[in-house]
Amino acid sequence: MNRLFSIFALAALMLVSVGCDKIDINNTHKPVEPSVGNKTVLIKDFTGARCVNCPAAAEYAHELAHQLGEERVFILSVHAGYLAQPLGQFPDFLTEEGTAWYNDHDANPLFSVDYPTLTDGHTLNAEQIDTPVADALAEPQLFEIYVENLYDEDTRRLSVENTFLSVGDGSGKYYATVCLVEDSIIGWQTIPGGVDREYVFRNVFRGTLNGADGELVINGPFFYGDYFTSTCSMELDSTYNADHCYIMTYIYDNETGKISQTAMEKIK
Amino acid sequence: MRKHLLFILALVLTFGFKASAQSFLENSQVNGSFQTDAQYYMLDEGIGINDLNGKKMGINGFGKVNYTNGNFSAGLRFEAFLPEMNGFRSELNGVGVANFYATYDNGFIGATVGDIYDQFGCGFVFRTYEEWSLGFDNSLRGARIVLRPTKGLTFKGVYGRQRYYWAPYLERNFGLEDARGLVRGVDAEWDLNQSIPALNDSKFRMSIGGSFVSKKQYDMSVFYYIPENVGAAAARLNLGYGNWAFSTEYAYKINDPSAINNLIYKEGRALMASLSYSQKGLGAVLQVKRVDNMSFKSMYTGKQNDLDINFIPPINYTHTHSLPSMYTYSTQPNGEMAAQLQVNYTIPKGTALGGKYGTKLAFNMSQVNDIVRDSVLDHGQWVINKPGSLGYASKFFAIGDRRFFRDINFEIDKKISKDWHITAQYINLYYDIETIEGHAGAPPVKANIAFLDVTYKINKKQSLRLELQGLWENEVHAGYEVEESEKKDYQKRGDWLFGLLEYTIAPHWSISIADKWNYGNPVEEFRDHYFTGNITFIHEATRVMLSAGRQSEGVVCVGGVCRVVPASSGVSLTVSTSF
Repeated sequence: MNRLFSIFALAALMLVSVGCDKIDINNTHKPVEPSVGNKTVLIKDFTGARCVNCPAAAEYAHELAHQLGEERVFILSVHAGYLAQPLGQFPDFLTEEGTAWYNDHDANPLFSVDYPTLTDGHTLNAEQIDTPVADALAEPQLFEIYVENLYDEDTRRLSVENTFLSVGDGSGKYYATVCLVEDSIIGWQTIPGGVDREYVFRNVFRGTLNGADGELVINGPFFYGDYFTSTCSMELDSTYNADHCYIMTYIYDNETGKISQTAMEKIK
Repeated sequence: MRKHLLFILALVLTFGFKASAQSFLENSQVNGSFQTDAQYYMLDEGIGINDLNGKKMGINGFGKVNYTNGNFSAGLRFEAFLPEMNGFRSELNGVGVANFYATYDNGFIGATVGDIYDQFGCGFVFRTYEEWSLGFDNSLRGARIVLRPTKGLTFKGVYGRQRYYWAPYLERNFGLEDARGLVRGVDAEWDLNQSIPALNDSKFRMSIGGSFVSKKQYDMSVFYYIPENVGAAAARLNLGYGNWAFSTEYAYKINDPSAINNLIYKEGRALMASLSYSQKGLGAVLQVKRVDNMSFKSMYTGKQNDLDINFIPPINYTHTHSLPSMYTYSTQPNGEMAAQLQVNYTIPKGTALGGKYGTKLAFNMSQVNDIVRDSVLDHGQWVINKPGSLGYASKFFAIGDRRFFRDINFEIDKKISKDWHITAQYINLYYDIETIEGHAGAPPVKANIAFLDVTYKINKKQSLRLELQGLWENEVHAGYEVEESEKKDYQKRGDWLFGLLEYTIAPHWSISIADKWNYGNPVEEFRDHYFTGNITFIHEATRVMLSAGRQSEGVVCVGGVCRVVPASSGVSLTVSTSF
């Protein structure tokens, strides 16, 4: 009995001695250097598979991104509107969130630059996006976004952790929207003079993981070096090609509606 | 001759085995229970259900079987959520053996392997339990040893990883949600009255105890150093003398930055004390509690009630009637100061007020406030609750100005005659709906609630029960202006009336109809009727209940742990049995 008691007492003592790690309160931050000066821009291309002018407009946007740097200019192809309605062999890329962002407009293609929704003053044609994109790139960077994806191929379960590191001081309500994007989908697309049956759809928006408006991540003042995290998860639709899927996360100011920063990361 | 010898040997073996098997079977005991809750959902534009989101039905079911043979016991629980009912976490969707265990306990030593449910003291540093109505299960898969070296002295040790819905128990699982830590804990308790013969029959009673629990988690943070070992300790004392009893427990937790506390490095503390007195016809309990940064999870990124290692007991009255239980307090692990007084008195039989059967009176008052939080210096800047800092400073006995909850209620329970029985209660409620339910900017619920519950026994077998309830808010009612964008925060606000009529034919049948009417909601479109009809059949340990109608949006809370129940309409069936 005494031996048993001694073993128990020893185990308890060991647990107490190794069971606590005290972190030095003056050294809670890991050394991470925010890369200031990397303001990114998000172009939302509101398009449709039956829209004859959309492929040219998409090409224009991609060419612009290519010229200015694809690591800083992101394009999200949001299929919304009448010309995105599925018909026959034309693919169905409609989403609830995309329809909400489209905001009852009646044309394609339409663009927004660093604004989540098509609203007055922020609805552009393809040839109007150059200046806003250039201006947005020149704006001071407010956040750095780190997207960490964990994808299980067996269950097709995807978990996403987003970390928003502030690289400046500020205050307000900031929301983050986490989007699933699938690239290089082959399907029917109307083009001038007919239908391209093997059209390559780029960066197709497949839905969000946290709603059209995203979720509140900052509410109040924040300072250089503060960070905020949000996590979300989903099960990847069996028809999506996981090798071509990305997570695109953007953070925006709820008061102005302006996107502060966007980041994109492959899920695999 | 050889043939005969073989025959005799076979006979001896057969009878020997049979006798042993017979004895084995005689000592065996099997018990268990089964339950299935199913709900068929229907569109109901009247209460805003215009889309079922592809879910027409939800089914939650479980079956558990326990086997006991002398010092040995084993059991398992099978669960099926196909899919889970609305209001339960979608992670529950699935089917399989959720828990199993095997225990050997000879009184001196007990050992369990498998899924463990246990509690140290009041649960401040460790409690694993399962609550079916919440879809909550934080059992520990691992091992437990219990030692009782002498009468009154008990030592416990536990080790394992907690259940997280259906996530597999691997060393490090896939996904942020599944990166659960290990939980290790020890507990000791000494009951002096059992240990010391002179105190065996003493009026004075005393026991003391202490616990230490530590989690080993993974530091997955890009930015902050997360402690991989976080320990929490608690000490407790129970005293009693005659009709008086006093118990207290104090807990301390080392730095534990987490998603719940906004990644602050402050230590956690909790204290609870209870003083009670009881004699025939009179009972009183006074309880106080302070909680400061005491969320303790086996994964620092866990949210809501995920992977809770500990449990913070609520000290509020538990209402069971429909309207009084609409606004139930949910424990705030980040900080609360609470107090409760409960007095029960029975006016004796044969007195003017007591009448022929006596009259039961009960008074309860509980209040919960926030703790005081002062700014702390962090790298030359005064901050409050900033990630990576100590968070805040808080004086131990200081009470915060923000009131979370207050419930003052008075109940009278009276058997008037052989056939009539009434229960009536009045409640004055204050409920900070912004803090408790997260309705940002919504004003607190300040309400008067009353109910009358009357039972009339028609004859030996049949009875009728009538419930009349009302809830009247002081500020938010019809006429209160609500902005279009804030409507969703007023789904169940304003004044309510509730009526129920139940007809029982003992011992098998019960039929009831009820209507809950949010007639005084400030938003006209929410002034809905929630009518329901129920038929219940009971046969021995089997219960079958069929209900149809509407269910209002609400919160289901058990022991301060809550889940939100969305409004729904449809038919539900519950079947349960035990053996």
